[in-house]
Amino acid sequence: MGIENPFQDPLRFERQAPECAIVIFGANGDLTRRKLMPALYRLAYDRRLSAGFAVIGISRTALSDDQFRDKMLESVKQFSEDTAIDAEVWAAFARGLYYVAGDINDAALYQRLGQKLTAVETERHTGGNALFYLSTQPSQYALAALGLGGAGLGKGGGWRRLVVEKPFGHDLASARELSGRLHQVFDESDVYRIDHYLGKETVQNILAFRFGNGIFEPLWNRRYVNHVQITAAESIGVEGRGAYYQEAGALADMIQNHLLQVMATIAMEPVASFRAMSVRDEKSKLLRSMRAMTPDEVRRNSVAGQYGPARVGGQDVAGFRQEPGVDPQSPTDTYAAVTFFVENWRWAGVPFYVRTGKRLPKRVTEIAIQYNPAPLHIFDEDAAESAPNLLIMRIQPEEGLSLKFLSKRPGAGMTLRPVSMDFNYGSSFGERSPSAYETLLLDAIMGDATLYTRQDMVEASWSVVEPIQNVWRETKFDFPNYAAGTWGPAAADEMLARRGHAWRKP
Amino acid sequence: MAAAGAEGIPPERVLRELADLWITLGKQGEAESGTGVLRACTLNLVVLAEASDDAAALEETIAALMPEHPARTIMVKLSGAGERALAERVYAQCWMPFGQRRQICCEQIAITASDAALADLESVVLPLAAPDLPVIVWSRSARLFEMPPFGAIARMATKVVVDSAAFADAKRTLRLLAEMARGGILLGDLAWTRLTRWREMLARLFENRNYLAKLARISGVRVTYYGEFATSAWYMGAWVADALRDAGVSAQVVVGTGSGPPSLSVELAGGGFRVELVRQQDRLIITVDNAENCTNLPQPGDCLLMREELGIVRRDAVFERTLASAARLAYATD
Repeated sequence: MGIENPFQDPLRFERQAPECAIVIFGANGDLTRRKLMPALYRLAYDRRLSAGFAVIGISRTALSDDQFRDKMLESVKQFSEDTAIDAEVWAAFARGLYYVAGDINDAALYQRLGQKLTAVETERHTGGNALFYLSTQPSQYALAALGLGGAGLGKGGGWRRLVVEKPFGHDLASARELSGRLHQVFDESDVYRIDHYLGKETVQNILAFRFGNGIFEPLWNRRYVNHVQITAAESIGVEGRGAYYQEAGALADMIQNHLLQVMATIAMEPVASFRAMSVRDEKSKLLRSMRAMTPDEVRRNSVAGQYGPARVGGQDVAGFRQEPGVDPQSPTDTYAAVTFFVENWRWAGVPFYVRTGKRLPKRVTEIAIQYNPAPLHIFDEDAAESAPNLLIMRIQPEEGLSLKFLSKRPGAGMTLRPVSMDFNYGSSFGERSPSAYETLLLDAIMGDATLYTRQDMVEASWSVVEPIQNVWRETKFDFPNYAAGTWGPAAADEMLARRGHAWRKP
Repeated sequence: MAAAGAEGIPPERVLRELADLWITLGKQGEAESGTGVLRACTLNLVVLAEASDDAAALEETIAALMPEHPARTIMVKLSGAGERALAERVYAQCWMPFGQRRQICCEQIAITASDAALADLESVVLPLAAPDLPVIVWSRSARLFEMPPFGAIARMATKVVVDSAAFADAKRTLRLLAEMARGGILLGDLAWTRLTRWREMLARLFENRNYLAKLARISGVRVTYYGEFATSAWYMGAWVADALRDAGVSAQVVVGTGSGPPSLSVELAGGGFRVELVRQQDRLIITVDNAENCTNLPQPGDCLLMREELGIVRRDAVFERTLASAARLAYATD
């Protein structure tokens, strides 16, 4: 083992990426333009990237390095929400941008990429390290990985890692098949399945809240928690992604990955250490503890929905089937609500209500933990019934925590009223929060997989979601069943009402 | 504003004024935006400043610190010689976070104290501190550092931050600071904080495996300074020497003065390998052997320096070791 750098001071120095080349497949795509390049530029702006850093963009369009640089500058200008373009920083960053044109199906592309990587390593001193980022159609993931392997690029002088965007398969079998093909070239420890939800500061804050404080853990179980609601609502429709969306649907697009990962973060057992393996082991255990439902249970515990046309905020809004690129008879779910159960001692019998949908009244993502009422109502019973104790973790917008409890109203008499104790993440820490992609890209470059999804986690979540998919596929839904701008189908309210619960209106 | 004069400052009254202030702010916020105000407080910041200090600039610095480190700020203005006098006023510092409707407010208490009243300061400040939160004392007065009441003020603090660049005798300052640290006082020195970004540059240089492999060749370290960088220079020399020692490298460290505009440079050399970092105004020139690179490194203002120090309310082992080494190094050269 070589000597370590004795000048490091982790308490004061910012986390820095080691030298490497990032190879982006799909460099002309939306994700690269909107998220990846602005995130990388911001990391450069914050001096988080090493001087030995380079990006090699890959796409079919023929472009020179300079044309690619100009295009990326336009993207960064357009999509960097809170970062000014500094001419000098951009000039230094842009010198490390390169481009290779080619078709992912063409073996010659990987030969050219190999030559470019060698040239860039000499020119930029990237140390032979390479991070391959697949920002392409999911059908091309395995092709790209095998192409890299065929050209001998899966191994090199430094480390080699592969970042894969969701969806990780469309069911359990395809997820396993995809992993199997990726593993022909990359070890599982070098495969980084990205779920940008897990890179959000407030999702990470769930871990800090749960395991950095001693006072909440005793209340974090079936004895005190009545039920949990996880909501990811979007006010927008499919926004031009109709063709993609109708192949996926809300259940597969949101619940199978983002929301089950959030649920695992909420419900997992405490970790022994904040290391990638410990955290991912506990999440995986939790996902494997979730009850895979029988068809009858699926019918009772899940609701599919699709929005229809409506007038929202004084404007006519198209229904899903009227969106461009969508089949007018499409059976795709734009709303999904599921009651999950975790079969372990901590959570047995506690319903986890998870819902997501498009064209709901507002954009909000939150987790609400509702506590059991006081065992005896010695005050105003109505007040206690109508205002339960709630711990709300808001992921977006206005990230923060709220604890709702009852308090005596000032004045004569013992009248109670609910009050909210708020912690606002953005205002308590005025520092800018890094975007999810900044966090996750830096983690991948540094080899920290804590916030990435592992193969067994993906498979465990498909094991829970697939039985629902199977029943929904065979069911003839009467779509559309909710109007745009409302909180989803009435059946979703009935699903909770059967257990004496009601959805929050966040 | 309430002037307490010789009778002192009853903390109950100040705290009552603070409570009234929150009620007023809440009503104003409710009337203006219907959302009230949010009180934010993560620490107590006690600022000790001379009356001659630029009050407006200091207010700006504190206002800029609040979004990241919301605090109950107790601003103590040192009025110098004269009657034993203390006076106070209470007010709030509010801001509207971008894209949000609710104002965030932090509270401030301003106290004026004559030199004769400094002995009473501890008994005034402690009851006014928000409970269960750390008390950070930022002493901007070089004069106060040498006065007897400073010890009592430092002992009430969770952490004391000074700026030794403003002190006249660098060696004596280092010795006093090292003694305080040995006595268990948690310290921060902005003269050390100023070095963070360029210490980082030096560390980053040795992330390169080729350069790291040449570390063992280094036999000499020369730090040259001019102007206000005296304590920074001793810190730099001590820090480099300690780091080299950790890597099993023994090097002779020389700290000396240069000339011209205020500057600081450090050179590590030996066995045909040479690394030099030179700070000149807002630029850092990094030379490795014959290859030179110039980078923009603006001199950080008080706000940036304090942001960093307020973020570290615990033992900073690297600084503590460097301070002890710097004090030894400085006196060894006498």
